[in-house]
Amino acid sequence: MSATILTPPATPRRVRRGPSADMLRLLMVLALILAIIVVGAVVTDRFMRPENFANVFEQATDLALVALGQSLTVLTGGIDLSVGSMISLLSVLTSGLIDGNSAMVLPVCLGILAGGTLLGVLNGCGVVWLRVHPLIVTLGMGAILQGVALLYTRAPIGSIPDGFDSLAYGRVAGISVGGAATALIFVLVAAFLRYTNTGRTIYAVGDDSQAARLLGMPVRRVILLVYGASGFFAAVTAIYLVSRFGSGQPYAGADYTLASVTPVVVGGIALSGGRGSIFGTLLGAYLLAILNDLLNFLHVPTQIQLVAEGLIIMAAVSIHVERGRRS
Amino acid sequence: MLSVRHISKAFPGVQALSDMQLDVHAGEIHALVGENGAGKSTLTKIIAGAQAPDAGEMSLDGKPVRWTGPAAAKAAGIHVIYQEFVLFPHLSVAENIFIGHYRRNRLRAVDHAATERAAAELMARLGVRLEPWRLVGELTVADQQMVEIAKALVDRPRLLILDEPTAVIAGQEVEALFERLRLLRDEGVAIIYISHRLEEIFSLCDRVTVVKDGQWIATHAVGEVDRDRLVTLMVGRDVTQFFPPRADAADVAAAEVVLQASDIRLGRRVRGASIELRAGIVTGLAGMVGAGRSELAMAIFGGLPMEAGTVAIGGRVFRRMTPAIAIRQGIGFVTEDRKGEGLAMLQDVAVNVTAACLDSVSAGPMLQSARERSIADADIEAFRIACFGPGNPVATMSGGNQQKTLIARWAHTCRSVLILDEPTRGVDVGARTEIYRIMRELAARGVAILMISSELPEVVGMSDRVYVMREGSMPGVLEPGQITEEAVVDLATHHRHAA
Amino acid sequence: MNGSLLAKARGVGAAKAPLAGRIMPPGFTSLLSRYGIYLFMVVFLLVAAVAAPSFFSRGNLSNLVLQIVPLAIVACGQAMVILVRGLDLSVSSVMATAAVVATSFSGHDADIPSIVLLSLAIGMCAGLVNGLLVVKRNVSPFLATLATMIVLQGLRFAWTHGAPSGLMPPLLHRIGAGTWGFIPMNLPVLLAVALPLVLVLHRTTLGRRVVITGGNPMTGRLLGYPVDAIVIGAYMLSGCLAAIAGIVLGGYAQIVDNWVGRGFELDSIVAAVLGGFALSGGRGNVAGVIAGSIVLALAGNIVLLIGLPVQFQIILKGVVIVFAAACYARR
Repeated sequence: MSATILTPPATPRRVRRGPSADMLRLLMVLALILAIIVVGAVVTDRFMRPENFANVFEQATDLALVALGQSLTVLTGGIDLSVGSMISLLSVLTSGLIDGNSAMVLPVCLGILAGGTLLGVLNGCGVVWLRVHPLIVTLGMGAILQGVALLYTRAPIGSIPDGFDSLAYGRVAGISVGGAATALIFVLVAAFLRYTNTGRTIYAVGDDSQAARLLGMPVRRVILLVYGASGFFAAVTAIYLVSRFGSGQPYAGADYTLASVTPVVVGGIALSGGRGSIFGTLLGAYLLAILNDLLNFLHVPTQIQLVAEGLIIMAAVSIHVERGRRS
Repeated sequence: MLSVRHISKAFPGVQALSDMQLDVHAGEIHALVGENGAGKSTLTKIIAGAQAPDAGEMSLDGKPVRWTGPAAAKAAGIHVIYQEFVLFPHLSVAENIFIGHYRRNRLRAVDHAATERAAAELMARLGVRLEPWRLVGELTVADQQMVEIAKALVDRPRLLILDEPTAVIAGQEVEALFERLRLLRDEGVAIIYISHRLEEIFSLCDRVTVVKDGQWIATHAVGEVDRDRLVTLMVGRDVTQFFPPRADAADVAAAEVVLQASDIRLGRRVRGASIELRAGIVTGLAGMVGAGRSELAMAIFGGLPMEAGTVAIGGRVFRRMTPAIAIRQGIGFVTEDRKGEGLAMLQDVAVNVTAACLDSVSAGPMLQSARERSIADADIEAFRIACFGPGNPVATMSGGNQQKTLIARWAHTCRSVLILDEPTRGVDVGARTEIYRIMRELAARGVAILMISSELPEVVGMSDRVYVMREGSMPGVLEPGQITEEAVVDLATHHRHAA
Repeated sequence: MNGSLLAKARGVGAAKAPLAGRIMPPGFTSLLSRYGIYLFMVVFLLVAAVAAPSFFSRGNLSNLVLQIVPLAIVACGQAMVILVRGLDLSVSSVMATAAVVATSFSGHDADIPSIVLLSLAIGMCAGLVNGLLVVKRNVSPFLATLATMIVLQGLRFAWTHGAPSGLMPPLLHRIGAGTWGFIPMNLPVLLAVALPLVLVLHRTTLGRRVVITGGNPMTGRLLGYPVDAIVIGAYMLSGCLAAIAGIVLGGYAQIVDNWVGRGFELDSIVAAVLGGFALSGGRGNVAGVIAGSIVLALAGNIVLLIGLPVQFQIILKGVVIVFAAACYARR
């Protein structure tokens, strides 16, 4: 029992550092995208034209934006099922309040962004203080917001001034401005997640919120933050959709509630929280967009596209599990 | 250095601490012992700032202190390593160690490379070879504990509190941990060491404080007291007979063999182990954690599929066991993980004790609640399970009572064999003696008992025969008269003097 | 969600050891969490009675029951899945598919046996796929059932070419929307589903095995229970009940589109949770689920009776969900 010579407690087996699980996941999604491109190239030569890729890049924007906010809530082990209704409500408010008046664009958009954030924070409050499961809180909030949207209007409403559609359709050198901005936002959020204390805390809270609380981390603040961010990005998506369609619709967001979860998990963020990279979410959104694009080229009816999407989800999440087990 | 005076703390319905005192000096390892519920954890939490006392004062270096929260205590150099680690399984070793205190680069951004280098330095100081980028969830429990200790060192702790650190590790790992704790002590760190394993206190600690029912009982230098005295102080009564009497050597030899497991193999964890269990005899299964004991027991019960070997019981030989077969053959299995594998935590005592014998509380497919209730009532009586009745959800009961509930379940079905894996882990002294008594009573009914234990005094005190496992194989069995702590250790480790 | 979105088992300082002799029976909060939903139901009924005397009119009550029944049937299946730590988002898709199947034959009562059998088969298949993905591939139930939902939706669209157009057999319409005297004709369907379920779950050894397995699958395994079969069975039952609910709801609406049952996946989860089923599995009783369904439907009904715009139905539903969960279904 000499106190000077230390015997290592466990068999010290050198382990080589391999690519991280996140990296493998990104590569897998990338491989799937490449596979689709190869199939597309074989099937039709129009698929490989730059305009086509530019279109896909543009079309992925709305889903990518709403999924970004969803990624953050899922990273903390939560979920936000109010995003769909939130998009619906905020989109009718946006177009209804602007109503073709270009002077109103800026104040309304700022107001909508603030409102979305506030609603998100309200979700977070429900999770933190009411201590209700996020699934239930956000579901309830979703119902309320959908109701309010329908109170405001039951039909498409409002219009947008000239030039407002450039948010959705604007291109510089053939590249979608909205799409590029979205990709940039992803990079910024990723940097925030990796290089700031708060960002790391988001992962820690998702990994084990109990432990995070014991270590004195600001768990509540982080939860408020991610739900607020989810609301913010839902607002961004709402404005983007108004720009794309020219008016707000009271059911504009309905499909986004569950759809926003798909790119998140396909990209490798675990629903249990604390694991995964938001670049996976971005790639997941691109994957779904390019898949739709390919199926359009193949003249596959929309109906069957859904089947394909469902099967892709099944395949992606099954493969994911297999990886996790082996490592 | 740290001085606690007249601390009291009440929870609704329970006076957890009253007029508690404790003095800890720099450079000493101070043991804190007492039964579960004696107030150790509450005291720990108050010292660590996780709870505020109702009354009393604390002083650090003679200056009175009052924590506003865990962060304040931490800033003052007080660090707690809880029994259940506070680690993030999907973050790396380096991140776990430096979480919240990352190395930053000039942009104030988290510098992951520098953080990993700092973590590697810390691990080297502890003499542990652990790659800082590895995910904590992939490490062994012992390595995770080292990460916890490394985490404490970041803050340059002045007082380190360890809550039952050896509950989850064994053998060499314990010794390695102790070496590091002594090293820290020699650097002037004060350590409060909480453990149920009294023998560790004698080999590691300098002084010991006994608490009971939320009150301070005594503080002694370790040299002044012996084991029996400590137990007496803790329990508050004279425990002359800690373990019930064992079977006579002649009876052990004459007892009928009820289960014979031969050459069981299970991957790398069990490499050809054989064991025989005799009616009415308590057979111990000793060895280090990871030696394959739990896996062997699981294989016999059918919880893990064995790759080779046979289990002979009731005149039949099985090459493949499943829990259903085992239960039909009258085998019971009290798992080591009662929360994760044993009990349905949200359900009540009645549901849990009858879970293995549903046939006996039903007529055809229909449950009969009256019979279920009467069985549960009888069990609560016989096993002295502290609860308000059969409808008490097990989640709200203490570890000892949960364990008794689990044993009661299997007592109904184990006609031939009862396997208990670490039956007294996390169980206080009072409940322990109860569990020992129950084991002996079952044995008296003719049941063959197989007890897996990492605690040598328990193995030696309870077992009539002892098998010892080492790295998946079974180097030997100790018969009555041969069973000593030394003999078990010899067989469990590499240097073999005795056979 | 396999302990994912659900409560985590890990935690420091586990259960506080109660001192011997101080063991107290369950407190107020525990009772509230068990019986709170009935309290809510009574309060709602009182509010309805006071706010709108027309609430207790025969027409309103039977209409209310007609609306409650499909939700309660789905929620019963959903509850079984939640009991084994799962979640079934595919129920709405199964419902719509069953409703589409019901109008895909000639529209005569003679087709009903084929309709029922085909719908049940579809529901069972969906449940089987869900169960296999969850049990054998260890996929999170949220995702497995989401994927099944989407696939089934696509197949349905392909089958109907986007616009289902067929006739509902008259008998199914009478069951879904008719009353016999003042007794809604779909009530017997709910009773036929719920009573055996109550009996099996709470009064038989099989039910007990399901409850224990749901609370702790590993415990079930060590007790020799057929754990995988139990979990897959729960999903299959959920699929079957969703199919039945789809036919009943399709009959109520008579005109079937591709979206019959839309929103039921989430409503059924809410009804089950309000009814006392823990999302972490292993706890709950069927009567609570029906009470939960009633509360949800009452929320909608009250809005109409006191003359608020129909949109307030959804708003009030949202408020009820959050408020009720905050009162007694906390994590």
